[in-house]
Amino acid sequence: MNAPPKSFLAWLPPVLCVVYLVASVMMAHRSPAGFDFQGFGRLPVVANGRVQPLDSLARNHLLAMQAKQAVPGEGSPASPAAWLAELAFQPALADTRKIFQIHHDEVLGLTGLSRGKQKSFSFHELQPAFPALQREAARIEQIDAQARSSYEKALMRLTRNLTAYNQLKHALALPRMENIEAEMLQLVDRVAAALAAAEKKEAPDAALMDDASARMREMLAWEPMCEVYAVPTGKGADSWRKLPDAVIDAVETRTLPAAAVAYARMGDAYRAGNVAAFDAAITDYQQWLAKQQPSHANKSRAESLFNRCAPFYLTMVVYVAAFLVAVLSWLRMGSTLRKAAFRMLLIGFAVHTAGLLTRMLLEGRPPVTNLYSSAIFIGWGVLVLSILLECYHRNAIGTAVAAVVGFVTLLIAHHLSLSGDTLEMMRAVLDTNVWLATHVVIITLGYSANFLAGGIAIAWILGRRFASISESSSASMRGMVYGIICFATLASFVGTVLGGIWADQSWGRFWGWDPKENGALLIVLWNAIILHARWGGMVRDRGIMVMAVMGNVITSWSWFGTNMLGIGLHSYGFTDAAFVWLIIFIASQLGIMSLAWLRVPHGTD
Amino acid sequence: MNLRRAANVFSSLRLTVVLLGYAMVLIFIATISQVHMGIHEVVQQFFRSWIAWWDVMPGERRWDLPLPGGALLGCMLIINLLAAHGMRFHKRKGKAGMMLIHLGILIMLLGEVFTGLLGKEAQMTLDEGQISHYSIYPRDVELALIEPMADGMQTVHAIPQSRLKNGAEFSFPGLTLRVDRYLPNSEILEERIAGKDFEPLRATAGAGLGYAVRSLPRETAMDRRDLSSAFVSIIADGGGEAPRLLLSNVMRGTQAFNVAGKEWNIALRQARLYHPFSIKLLDFSHDRYLGTNVPKNFSSKIRLLNPETGEDREDLIYMNHPLRYQGLTFYQAGFANDDKTTILQVVKNPAWILPYVSCVMVSAGLLWVFSSHLLKAIARRKNSVSS
Repeated sequence: MNAPPKSFLAWLPPVLCVVYLVASVMMAHRSPAGFDFQGFGRLPVVANGRVQPLDSLARNHLLAMQAKQAVPGEGSPASPAAWLAELAFQPALADTRKIFQIHHDEVLGLTGLSRGKQKSFSFHELQPAFPALQREAARIEQIDAQARSSYEKALMRLTRNLTAYNQLKHALALPRMENIEAEMLQLVDRVAAALAAAEKKEAPDAALMDDASARMREMLAWEPMCEVYAVPTGKGADSWRKLPDAVIDAVETRTLPAAAVAYARMGDAYRAGNVAAFDAAITDYQQWLAKQQPSHANKSRAESLFNRCAPFYLTMVVYVAAFLVAVLSWLRMGSTLRKAAFRMLLIGFAVHTAGLLTRMLLEGRPPVTNLYSSAIFIGWGVLVLSILLECYHRNAIGTAVAAVVGFVTLLIAHHLSLSGDTLEMMRAVLDTNVWLATHVVIITLGYSANFLAGGIAIAWILGRRFASISESSSASMRGMVYGIICFATLASFVGTVLGGIWADQSWGRFWGWDPKENGALLIVLWNAIILHARWGGMVRDRGIMVMAVMGNVITSWSWFGTNMLGIGLHSYGFTDAAFVWLIIFIASQLGIMSLAWLRVPHGTD
Repeated sequence: MNLRRAANVFSSLRLTVVLLGYAMVLIFIATISQVHMGIHEVVQQFFRSWIAWWDVMPGERRWDLPLPGGALLGCMLIINLLAAHGMRFHKRKGKAGMMLIHLGILIMLLGEVFTGLLGKEAQMTLDEGQISHYSIYPRDVELALIEPMADGMQTVHAIPQSRLKNGAEFSFPGLTLRVDRYLPNSEILEERIAGKDFEPLRATAGAGLGYAVRSLPRETAMDRRDLSSAFVSIIADGGGEAPRLLLSNVMRGTQAFNVAGKEWNIALRQARLYHPFSIKLLDFSHDRYLGTNVPKNFSSKIRLLNPETGEDREDLIYMNHPLRYQGLTFYQAGFANDDKTTILQVVKNPAWILPYVSCVMVSAGLLWVFSSHLLKAIARRKNSVSS
C-alpha cells in the first residue's frame, strides 16, 4: 500500500475548496426553468434611500420577518425574488405563506393564535388580530424606545414587519387591479379626456367624470401605501418616482413610462401563468434600462449577483475546513497538512476580500460604514495579520486562530444583517469618506489585532491545559502575542486620536467622553498596561496570555457594549439578542482566563 | 533615605500600571453613568474633578462613593511620567522613541487640562432671517439687570449663576438686589392649582404675580434644560417698599420696574457669550434620502457681518464643515421648528493644536519603538536559524 505523495495531500484540500466555490457560484448563476425570477430580481428600484435590486429588497424583508431568506412551506417560491413576485402579483396566495416569526408568548397571546408546532404565521392568520395589535402599538409608540419591555419591543417589531410587508405588497402593483396594463392605460385615457373636456368648457359627461375621478382617487389612495420608487425619471437616486405617481404623471404625456408598462405586463403575465410574456416584459425593460439608466442597471445587476453568490457564507465554510485541517496537522503529517490548511485559508481570504471589495464598490465607500461591515472588516484584518504570522512562524497556529476568528466575525456579521439593509445610506454626520477611510479603518484594525492576540492566547491556554504544546510552539506564540499587541497599541492609539481629530475638524472639540470614545480609550489603555506590565517584569508568559484574553473582553465592550447603552453620537446599532451574546462571550473569556490559573498538568510555568 | 524610597515609588512602572488600570475603572464607571446622567455632568463629576463622588445605585441615592477624580489621576500620571524619566530613563541610551511617546502623552494630558480650563461651549439658535450677535450657554443662567443711561444707551449688568445664592445681595447705583430664593431647576404653576410642596414665597409685583414655584432636581438629559427661577427683591437706596419679582428663564423678555424715576429692566436668562460680529441665518435646508427619514445633510446658509473688519460675506455651515471664525467654531448641531430654525454649536478651544502635535509625536514614537523591536526579533531569528 503506497502512501499518497505528500505534495498531493498538500494540494488536495485546497483544490476541493476551489471546486466547492466554483460549483456554488455556478449554482447561483443557474436559472431554473419557468419564470425568469433571476432577471426580475435584478431590476433596480429605489428603496431605503438607495438604488437596489428587487432581489435585495426581497431578501432584507424576509430576513427582518423570519431571520432567514427561504420561504418555508410546500410549493413556496424558491427564491426571495420569486416570493416578491408572488407578493406583488398574487398577494392572496402570498398572504398564506408563514413568514412572520413570533417568539414572544405574550405577543402570540394577543393574536389569539396558538403555537403548536409552528413558530411562524401567515399574514392571513394574523389578520384578525390587527385591531388588537394596532391598539397596543399606538400605546407603545408613546413610550421611550429605551424603556420598552421585551413584550413591547417584540410587538413593535411584529407591527413594523406587518407594515413593511403591506408596503411591499403595494410596491409594484395595486392588488385590486385585475388587468393591470389595460386599467392603467384606461386611467390615463379617461383622466386625460376628462381634463380636456374641462378645459374646453364642454358640457361635462357625467359618466366620464365619475369614472375618471374614481380612478384618480384609487391612485391617490395607493400612493401612501407604496414605499418603493420603481420608476426612474432622471439621473440621480432622488429622481425616481413611485408607480402611482408615475401613472398620474403619465396623464399629461399620455404615455406610460417604461417601468410602469413593464411591471404591469409582468403582473398580467404572472397571473395568467404566461412565462414567455413575463420574461419578454423583463427583457424589454432591461434593454430600456441598459440604454437609459446604465449605471443604475449595472449596480443593481452586480448587487443581485453578490446576493446570490453569498461570498461571506462561502468564506465561512472554507474557514471551517481550514481550521479542521490545521488541527489535524498538529496530530499527524505536520508540515503537509499545515501547508494545505494555509492554502485553504488563503482561498477563503481571497473570497472574503472579493466580497469586501464588492461591497465597497457597491457603496462607493471605505470598508467600514456600519456595525455589519465592521464585523466583516474585523475578520478580514485578523486574516491579514495572521497570514503574516503564519508566513513567519509556520506552525499552523496563525491559520487555526485566524480561521476561528474569521468564522466567528462572519457569523456575527450574519446575525447583524438580520436587522435590515446592510448597504444602507450614511447619515449626514458620518458622510465623509476621508474619515471613514482613516479613523474607522484604523481603529477597526486595532479591534482585529486585539481579537487575534486574544485568540492566540486562548489557544495557548487551552493547549497547555488539555494538550502538551511544545516549548518551541509556546515560545513562538509568545512572540506572536507580543508582536500583535504592539501592533494593536499602535492601531488603537492612532485610530482613537484620528477620531478625536475628526471630532475637532467637524465639531470643534477633540474629545467628548462619549461612550464609544471611552471604549476606544479603554483598549488603548489596556494595551499600554500589558506592555508596561511586561516591560516592568510584573507579568510573565501566563500573565500576558491572560491579559490578552482580557483584551477580547475589553474590545468586545468597545465594539458592542457601548452601543447598547443607547447614548451618544455613536449609538447606531442596538439589538437585544446581541446583549445576551455579549454576556455569554465575556463569561466564556473569564472562564478561559481562570483556566490559566489552574494547575497545569504538564510542564511548569 | 525615605526620600529615595518615595522617589522610587513615584517613578515605578508598577505605579504606572496601577494608575492606568484605575483610569480604565474610572472611564468605565463614567461611561455607564451616562445612562442616567448627562454627558456634561459626567465629565465635570468624574474627569474634571479631584474627587469623583460615584452614585453607586442611581435613583436610590443610597451610597455616594468617593473615588479619585480625573484631575487627581492626571496629576499622578504626569508625576509618575516625569519621575520615571528623571530617575531611570536618563541612565539608558536608545530611549529616544520612548521619550517621544511619553512627551506626546504629556502634551495630550495638558491639552485636556487646558480645554477644561479655557474651553467654552455655547449655542446659537437662529430662525430664518434672524440676526444675532451673541450665543447662549444652554446650561447656565445669569441674572441680567439693564440700567438706563443718560444718553439713551443701556448698561447691562450680568450676575453669573455661581453667585446666585439665597440671601445674596448685589448693589448698583441707586438700588440693591436681594435674591430671596434661587431655584436651579423648578416648576412654575398658577397659585390656585399648585400643590402643598410648592414654596410659600410669592411675587408682590411683576409678571410672576399669582404664580407658585417648587424646586426640582436638576436635569441631566442632554436635550433638556433646567427651568431656573428666582425671587428677587428690589430695594431702592431711599428705602420704601421693596417689590419682589419672580424671574425665570422660561419667561420671555424682561420685566420693568421704576426706581427714582428711571425705568430699569431685569431678567433671569440663559447666560450669554457676546461676539464682536453678527450672524444672520439666510436659509436652513434639511434633505433626507428619498422615501426615508434618514438625514442626507443639513446646512445653514449664513451671512457673517463684522463692522470692525468690514466683513459681510456668506458661508454655508453643514455637517463636517463648520465655520471657524475668531477662535470660535460654529458647527451644525441641530434644527427645530419644522426645519425653519437652526441650532449652531459654538465652541472655543484655544488648546486645539495640542492633540495634533501629540498625535504625531506618539505615532512616530510607537512606530520607532515597535519597528526596532521587530527588526531585533527578525535578526535574532536569523541568527538562531543560521547557527
